[in-house]
Amino acid sequence: MGRYLRLLGLFVRTELQFALEYRFNLLLEIMQIVVVSGTSVAAVLILYAYTEVMNGWSLPQMVVLLGVFYMVQGVEELVFQPSFQRFMEHVRQGTLDFVLLKPVSSQFMVSFRHFQTVQTIQVAVGLVITLYGVAQLATVLTVGSAAAFALTLACGFVLIYALLLVLSTLAFWFVRVDNILALFWAFIDAGRFPIDIYPGWLRLTMSTVVPVGIAVTVPAKAIVGLVDLQTLGFVLAATAAAWLFSRAFWKRGLRAYTGASA
Amino acid sequence: MPEPIVRVAGLTKVYRVHEREEGLGATFRSVLKRRFRDVPAVTEVTFTIEPGEVVGFLGPNGAGKTTTLKMLAGLLYPTGGEARVVGHVPWRREGAFLRQMTLLMGNRSQLVWDIPAADSFRVLQEIYGLADERYRATLAELTELLELGPLMHKPVRNLSLGERMKVEFAAGLIHSPRVAFLDEPTLGLDVSMQARIRRFVAELNRRAGTTILLTSHYMDDILALCKRVLVIHHGRLLYDGALGELAQRMAPYKVIRVVLRDGAASAFLDELGTVVERDEARITLRVPRELAGERTARIVRELEGGLADISVEDPPIEEVIDRVFAGERMPDSAVPA
Amino acid sequence: MIRIYRALLTNQIQIMSQYRAQMFLYVLFSFIRPIIFLAAWLAVADSQGGQLGAFSRSDLAAYYVVMIFVTHLTTSWDMYEFEYEIRQGALSPKLLRPLHPLHYSIVANVLWKGFTSVAVIPVAVIVAITFEARFTTDAWHVALGSVSLLLGAALQFLFGWVFALVAFWTTRVHAFVTLYQRAGFIFAGQIAPLALLPGPLQAIAYGLPFGYMLGVPADILRGGPDLATALLLMGGQVVWLAVAVVLYRAVWSAGLRQYSAVGA
Repeated sequence: MGRYLRLLGLFVRTELQFALEYRFNLLLEIMQIVVVSGTSVAAVLILYAYTEVMNGWSLPQMVVLLGVFYMVQGVEELVFQPSFQRFMEHVRQGTLDFVLLKPVSSQFMVSFRHFQTVQTIQVAVGLVITLYGVAQLATVLTVGSAAAFALTLACGFVLIYALLLVLSTLAFWFVRVDNILALFWAFIDAGRFPIDIYPGWLRLTMSTVVPVGIAVTVPAKAIVGLVDLQTLGFVLAATAAAWLFSRAFWKRGLRAYTGASA
Repeated sequence: MPEPIVRVAGLTKVYRVHEREEGLGATFRSVLKRRFRDVPAVTEVTFTIEPGEVVGFLGPNGAGKTTTLKMLAGLLYPTGGEARVVGHVPWRREGAFLRQMTLLMGNRSQLVWDIPAADSFRVLQEIYGLADERYRATLAELTELLELGPLMHKPVRNLSLGERMKVEFAAGLIHSPRVAFLDEPTLGLDVSMQARIRRFVAELNRRAGTTILLTSHYMDDILALCKRVLVIHHGRLLYDGALGELAQRMAPYKVIRVVLRDGAASAFLDELGTVVERDEARITLRVPRELAGERTARIVRELEGGLADISVEDPPIEEVIDRVFAGERMPDSAVPA
Repeated sequence: MIRIYRALLTNQIQIMSQYRAQMFLYVLFSFIRPIIFLAAWLAVADSQGGQLGAFSRSDLAAYYVVMIFVTHLTTSWDMYEFEYEIRQGALSPKLLRPLHPLHYSIVANVLWKGFTSVAVIPVAVIVAITFEARFTTDAWHVALGSVSLLLGAALQFLFGWVFALVAFWTTRVHAFVTLYQRAGFIFAGQIAPLALLPGPLQAIAYGLPFGYMLGVPADILRGGPDLATALLLMGGQVVWLAVAVVLYRAVWSAGLRQYSAVGA
């Protein structure tokens, strides 16, 4: 366990060193993050110029949701996306074998090897937006709601990770799956609003197939104490199931790649 | 007697390939019902390797060399047969096995492109769990042997092909494996770099006693490094033994090159052996091995002053190998039972 | 010229057949965002009793259904491709030929959008039915709207190219493109119909070119403005198009000078 943590630290450090070398580039990327987040907040403000409440969500609550959305997207672009993208290149170029030759979990290597360290700014911006929204709310932040928030947020990260792992595992059979991943990113945009505003089919997709809805909406509700134990239990169960399934699927893909008879 | 470090018995690998003809109609049909073809890549290969050996794995493209190597490295599951490397079943990919073995693939890179090699090496140290002292010592030795000095701190993408290969080599050996599988290690390198890599491999074997199994289709690699060769073709092991003996068995002739002075009669040479080349004053003859001495003497006698130069040689090894691959029947007992 | 275009078209069709998956994705991206923001605005409208200014629920639905089309037909991707082209050295061979590189882009645009529009139509129809869109379109709306759509497409095409040309001077195209796109995000009419933008923002929106790319054609096609207003808005499109042409030519020749100075 300690070894894996040390490895994670190494991965972060090497990519950070690389990013810091190109300081101007880094600045530009930070600017981009700020611009994108800022314009999204502006979009929410425009909507709320006409109303106090939207589908039961007040402006501060919506701001919280947007903050959580950017935290989730930030984590996704911080580590999962760059790592899985590199993984698909490996499969295409035949260099995945090198990963398989190492005495470490290949799933770990494939999922966490590359960090796009500038995206920590995205996560930080998301957190700031979330906390600002919370500060504007009438309700008080309790230990319970903070804990529920942290828990559901973590579950959200795991759910997104599980989905990306499953999609990337398809590369073992189809090699070129970048298009499927682009599909995921198309849908993730819908997570910027609470999924209850969407028509049935989209809401269902956002809760199950592309669980961005759960990953964003649930924590946003949790921090204001709107999530009951039943929902919490359901989310935990769904997360555990997704984790187990994605891991099993990955192992299955690996066996297919190495030609093991099923 | 020490245990063989590599033991292979009846190793077989058959690929299931999805077969589809051209054309739109076939495309649609293949959606509904897939047709498969079994492509045998490796068939019933059996051999053992003792610790410290340097063995060459020789075969034309598609013969099954890389497939065999990948199975021994644990990257592929075989369809049949058994193998043990450093006492482990490779495809179980146990940690203990992976730490004692390495597979280096000629034109493939395992280092991260954008960062200096030194950073990738630090990660490798952690992955293999190498203690600082040991890691530094091994790194120092590899740096000396491969002349890596200034290369470690440049981003890998800024290195030339030869420099990158050296660093990749070091990366593959940093954990001091007992067995090294080298797949086309000198592919694409210039002549001087090839020689350097060969010297390095020989030195590695000498200093650390690393067992080496190397594939190459550069004959010079094999000649320089391997006393023993495994010849594989169409997935089958055709020969396992000393390289020199292979030449003797497969090409039991010698080559006599004769250079004539002006006006010398050479018609009689056709009776003494098979004329392979005839170019004015130069004639190349093939003569059965046992008769080489006698025929040479006769040529000298009969030509007398008409002979400008004569040489007697073994057939070039490439010719020998070509004969093997052309499917000429191997003499009996080429492969030990 | 026609022969050249025919040749380019055939070539591009062959290239396209390799990119079926990308085409599907292109369709997908065209309708996801309009649906997202339609859902949001409907929620806002519901909280206000179903009417927001001049827009009823059905008006909003109609606007966004049209927006699906408009987005699909006006999207430009050249800013990404051009930088890649320069980096790969693929621009130089094009410059050697007696054909302005813009033509390749025009052909690609026409083909891609033409082919994939087939897939967009059913989606738009489903959205229209689901959300009970109401179109107040007269015949002249359609006629003018189609012209407006072409103007909007040309506008976005040219402006997109102006920003793509930044690649002549820097590899950091991405940052500029982000700024350009996010400005469009607010002011083009995607996240809100231009008429619904709050006061000062609305004034800015009508002063910038973005609104004339998406929002204006979308509004006309759904039957929004009266004849006078529609003509006025289209006038704005023409003005900005003229600006775009001038800008493009200036930046292109400056860029070429830069390109050959640095070494193509």
